[in-house]
Amino acid sequence: MSEAMKPGKVRLFTLERIWTIATSTVTQLIRMRTFYFLLSFAGLVIAIGNLNIPDTPAKELSMIKKVSFGTMDLFAWLFAIVSTALLIPRDIEDRTLYTILSKPVRRIEYLAGKLCGVLIVIGISLLVMFAVCGTMISFREAGFVKNERNTMVKDGRYSDQEIDQQIALISKHGMRPELGIAVAASFMKAAVIASVTIFLSTFASSSLFTIIISILIFLIGHAHAMASSFWLYHSGDNVVIRQLFKIVKILIPDFQLYSFSEGIVLAEPVVYSLVGQMVLVTIGYLTVFLLLSLLVFIDKEF
Amino acid sequence: MEKIHTTRERETQSGGKNPPAVEVKNLTKIFSTGMRRDYVVAIDNLSLTVKAGEVYGLIGPNGSGKSTTMKVVLGLMAPSQGFARVFGLESGDIRAKNVTGFLPENPYFYKHLTGAETLRFYGKLCGMHGAALRDRIQELLELVSLQKAADRRLSGYSKGMLQRIGLAQALVQRPGLLVLDEPTAGVDPVGSREIRDLIFGLRNEGITVFLCSHLLEQVQEVCDRVGIIFEGRMRREGALDELISIADQTALTIQSASPALLEQIQNLVSHEKGASMVELGHPRTTLEDLFLKIVKGGKTSDE
Repeated sequence: MSEAMKPGKVRLFTLERIWTIATSTVTQLIRMRTFYFLLSFAGLVIAIGNLNIPDTPAKELSMIKKVSFGTMDLFAWLFAIVSTALLIPRDIEDRTLYTILSKPVRRIEYLAGKLCGVLIVIGISLLVMFAVCGTMISFREAGFVKNERNTMVKDGRYSDQEIDQQIALISKHGMRPELGIAVAASFMKAAVIASVTIFLSTFASSSLFTIIISILIFLIGHAHAMASSFWLYHSGDNVVIRQLFKIVKILIPDFQLYSFSEGIVLAEPVVYSLVGQMVLVTIGYLTVFLLLSLLVFIDKEF
Repeated sequence: MEKIHTTRERETQSGGKNPPAVEVKNLTKIFSTGMRRDYVVAIDNLSLTVKAGEVYGLIGPNGSGKSTTMKVVLGLMAPSQGFARVFGLESGDIRAKNVTGFLPENPYFYKHLTGAETLRFYGKLCGMHGAALRDRIQELLELVSLQKAADRRLSGYSKGMLQRIGLAQALVQRPGLLVLDEPTAGVDPVGSREIRDLIFGLRNEGITVFLCSHLLEQVQEVCDRVGIIFEGRMRREGALDELISIADQTALTIQSASPALLEQIQNLVSHEKGASMVELGHPRTTLEDLFLKIVKGGKTSDE
């Protein structure tokens, strides 16, 4: 008999159990044909990459990146909401939860496992999509650089310095390692909305309700900073409105924090202090919403 | 089958000497329903004890509180009053869960997993891994006769197969207590008999079985003790033989009795003051036994 199996030896909390639930969730999501969506996305990106936009190479590359990274971002947060909203209610409905929770599994381990599973799928999907986009952008960039150099050299009017400047401009809008930070921002944004959704699904009566409310929260989370300055300006810095916005700001995560990634996609320089702030805020949101979920879930009866 | 959670281990764990496998004391469960906060008493001051090693059946009609009692024992629900303990530990305690296996009514597992993957998943949740887990999965698949379907996804399993893989997952960590909620619900008589035989086997292994059912014949066959619950209250409880025997009647079974002998017996009974012949005839087999004899004769493959 192994030591771990002795009744007195059961560990109160293990990462192993979280990992078991997370990997099972990954299998569940993958076998739910999620990758068909990914395949469609990859096809879409390749199709966009092959489109000839009648503009300068730099602008064309910029446009390709904008569409590709925008689609990746949309996929990440939408998938986070829909998949998370379905997972727990389905386990309750199918009574799979009975058999899981009747094993030596803590409810926090179950919630964390489910959340990790969703995040692993989103992470892997984003990496696959990033690889597809990166390869495609790199090919286009190499083609543009070659053409531009040949054209400018043939023309004979440009100095080497001018040619190098033009090539540098194209490369600036091409594939750069900093784009990885934009992907990470999409991932973190998706992680936060997934944790909000998991919290909602612990008490919501239907998956559809959870999905709608999560999308609303996501949209409000993008606008509340802007809305608060607008309302405060028009209400003459009213105390009640200020307090109201404070409450909204506490309850609803500020997704605007992650929008600096749009600048990275448009070849603006990366502000690393903002990246650090984003990582810390994400960890904070994840912890708070997971604990709130546990607070509701711990006494839930099935 | 190797027995893992021995009595000594359970004593060490609970700190008590020979604690019962299940102890439910003055259990009351009240549900509030609707917007007007109406109250429904699902279980009313219920007490029962399941001794280690016995097969205990909790019977009652639908909605009598059987499943709720089981959920409290498993820690899936909290009691409104009273308590439930498993081997001396509070129900819901993670150590109690480690020695308890549960098969819910009409179990649904992850349909995207195969039979073997399902057992691996539940085994890992119980802290099992490596060769020990692999061997245990093979052992269980053999026990429930699902070796051939081990790599098939559960979405392709029949109801009987799902029930059997459910039983296998309940046994994965070699529990000392097995809780079965309507273990043969929706299963055909052949599957039902197989599950019943498995329960007999488990009893011989020393595993305590706590099952609830409304199929009386089945309970009668497998249980050592029975509790009858109705409207959330325990109405009768005791050893099966005591409960079902009619104290003031005596049955006599005679092989190859001649009509003359039967007439003599009838005469003797009629001469005894206060005694009367209630029934005279041939003992009957059950309809289920007859059905099984016919079906099993023509059956060639399992699923």
